[in-house]
Amino acid sequence: MDARQDFALAFLSILFEGAPFILLGTLVSGLLDVYLPSGAMERLLPKNRVAAVLVSCLLGAIFPVCECAVVPVIRRLVKKGLPVSCGLGYMLAAPIVNPITALSTWKAFEGQSPLMMTGGRLALGYLIAVAVALIVLRLPVGMVLRPSMLAEPASSPDESPDESCCDHGCGCHGEAPDSSDGKLVAAFRSALKDFVDVGVWFSVGVALTALFNTGIAPGARWLDQVAQHPAGAPAALMGLAYVLSLCSTSDAFIAATLDRFSWGAKLAFLVFGPMLDVKLTFLYQSVLRKRFILALAAGLFVAIGTLSMLWQFWLTR
Amino acid sequence: MTPKLQRVLFSLAILSWSAALLYFHASGRIVKYLAPDFRPIALAGGLGLAVLGLFNLLTAGEKADHDHGPSELNPWLAFLLMVAPLGLSIAWTKDEYSFAALSRKGLFDSPAASGASALAATRPPLTREELEKGHRRTADGFYEFNLIEIFLATGDREQQGLLDGMKIATEGKLAPDPAGEGKRARLYRLFVTCCAADSRAIPIALDLGGLPAAEVAAGGWAKASGTLTFPHEGGLIQPVLKVERLEPTAPPAEESFLRN
Repeated sequence: MDARQDFALAFLSILFEGAPFILLGTLVSGLLDVYLPSGAMERLLPKNRVAAVLVSCLLGAIFPVCECAVVPVIRRLVKKGLPVSCGLGYMLAAPIVNPITALSTWKAFEGQSPLMMTGGRLALGYLIAVAVALIVLRLPVGMVLRPSMLAEPASSPDESPDESCCDHGCGCHGEAPDSSDGKLVAAFRSALKDFVDVGVWFSVGVALTALFNTGIAPGARWLDQVAQHPAGAPAALMGLAYVLSLCSTSDAFIAATLDRFSWGAKLAFLVFGPMLDVKLTFLYQSVLRKRFILALAAGLFVAIGTLSMLWQFWLTR
Repeated sequence: MTPKLQRVLFSLAILSWSAALLYFHASGRIVKYLAPDFRPIALAGGLGLAVLGLFNLLTAGEKADHDHGPSELNPWLAFLLMVAPLGLSIAWTKDEYSFAALSRKGLFDSPAASGASALAATRPPLTREELEKGHRRTADGFYEFNLIEIFLATGDREQQGLLDGMKIATEGKLAPDPAGEGKRARLYRLFVTCCAADSRAIPIALDLGGLPAAEVAAGGWAKASGTLTFPHEGGLIQPVLKVERLEPTAPPAEESFLRN
């Protein structure tokens, strides 16, 4: 009975915390679906593909979203013609490289070198996102996106929204009046579908997180033992970040209390968590292929772990 | 399944999330789940979900400018995955953790082993006079301290020196200490960063001596008055309040400590 009560409290608290941000993301995605002309995002970015990646990883500074909200937005933007590499770069960078996360990290580490931690977090988050996006740039889209994402692509940037996002055989083109009422119904309907597509994975992810969260203590004791290990500490904190699935706007407040750990290990926690955790593993499945998610997880773990250790080495040399 | 029926089903799933958010807000139970800055966001989320769900429910049969195909998820499975964990959690929740979960969140750990020293390092140095001046004194001579002040003092040698032997009164929830053989208990509050899932217990040890704690139920709010000491126990410094009086008290408006 205790376990039920503990699971329920953890489940509801994470659900209540995250659901509004998913709603925000799906409403934005619904509006983008109906009102944003196909290819508009692509036209905003530089023509050079590498420069486009570099800029897209900074867009979180203008469009700040946390990791829960970014997935439905990216689903829609990629369908609207945003290059997959740019979409993925934005998806990984935006929860970190945004003013809200920067401010919360600064506040959390006040009195504990806030400039070093905030600057390190933003820089490493940006670097990793750019690196992943540049790799994706060289991959066939079919290796990255799940088939359902490929089934509803924008055929060309010049197509009208209706033509571009509805080659799925719904048979609705030209039938419904092109009225503001019709557009509004379409926007809400799109948001409904996106919310359920993301909400289902979120619900499963939150349930798993709640199970881990309420049984975290044996892991916490084990964490104490690895806190001073140069490679074990960042690896353990990345594992903890994965399990806890905290929001990027607030995870710094947890990291700041992990006083047994090095700055490098805390940095790994702060960069890895917003890019991959239990709930994101499920949310990503609404956009990405499972095999790609596995490769992404391994790559992020190795790259963030290695760079965090190097950063720690540079700080203490 | 027809697209209309699917839209109705999905709208109902969203409305169930909305109802949960709005109910917990209206009943005041939300304070047990979220930190204050997340509560208005949750209310806005509940209202937004209500609008989204109701709008789609009422327009489920209308034609739109362009409709997307049906969700790739089985609609019944999607509905079940969204509604069942929520419904079960609402049925199971008691708005608080069990002692088993609290022990995993540091209820029986020493503050010295759970980050008190790092947090204490951010506090300015004080003198005994300043401490006494900054705290109200009860009629029977106990200085009223917030529990977290005592917890943080464990990480600050200077504070310990000032507080050691001081007669203080503080409030928190009472938990029996399984290793205390009836002579020890814990007084604790939770520290919440964003939501209950990330909470940590902020405990101090109570030395009850021969004092019966039966008047305060386990998990109930209590005011403990006594002399504060900082003995070494198990190789760690532990704040221990040698209790002279333990009485039930009403919970404060905000039961948890918050990051602000």
